[in-house]
Amino acid sequence: MRINTSRFGRIDVDAGDIIRFPSGLPGLEDCREWALLADSTNDALGWLQCTTRGDMALAVVSPRRFVPDYQVRIPRSELTPLAISDISQAQVVVVVGKTDTTLTLNLKAPIVINLEARTGRQVVASGELPLQYELTINRQPLRKSA
Amino acid sequence: MLVLSRQRDESIMIGDNIVVTIVDIRGDKVRLGINAPSEIPVHRQEVYEAIQRENLRAARLEPGDTESIGRFTNRGPGRPDGPAKR
Repeated sequence: MRINTSRFGRIDVDAGDIIRFPSGLPGLEDCREWALLADSTNDALGWLQCTTRGDMALAVVSPRRFVPDYQVRIPRSELTPLAISDISQAQVVVVVGKTDTTLTLNLKAPIVINLEARTGRQVVASGELPLQYELTINRQPLRKSA
Repeated sequence: MLVLSRQRDESIMIGDNIVVTIVDIRGDKVRLGINAPSEIPVHRQEVYEAIQRENLRAARLEPGDTESIGRFTNRGPGRPDGPAKR
């Protein structure tokens, strides 16, 4: 499948590599099919490219690589639609955003992907977690809260 | 919008298998108990709306914006800018 993207030009995606998000993503409910692309210059970064909208892509990273003490707890109701019972069976990535001064990670709503079934879902993690966790060179420990 | 009056410990049913119970009422705060099948996620609306806004904001990111992200990784091979200093 060939997609004309605004960021990466024309790309080819195997049908078998498409990840289906049956509910879309919050705010992007119509975007239900995505492809996970590797960034050409940075191996820590990936891009979820919507296959039906060439202008729609989200930068994603593995959160533990940036926030070592990130421990995500996800209610079972959020995992049931993905046909997994435990988060260890899935790949977890978080969406990268930016402020005027730095890049941010959405730790509150990670994206969980069942790689075997190629289905995904953006879930709401339990506990107080930031939607915009600011990346800094000298990281502060993730604040613990009830 | 359907509007129903309920007292403490009374419930409403949504469909066959979702029950919302008024657990407690104190001043302007109502505590709700929600019994729903495990595959139905339940959210506070403001949390869901905040995630919607954040996704739309993040969708404006371009590849040029993320060039510095390698500086923030704390492990793993192939960091273009070297390891983060502690």
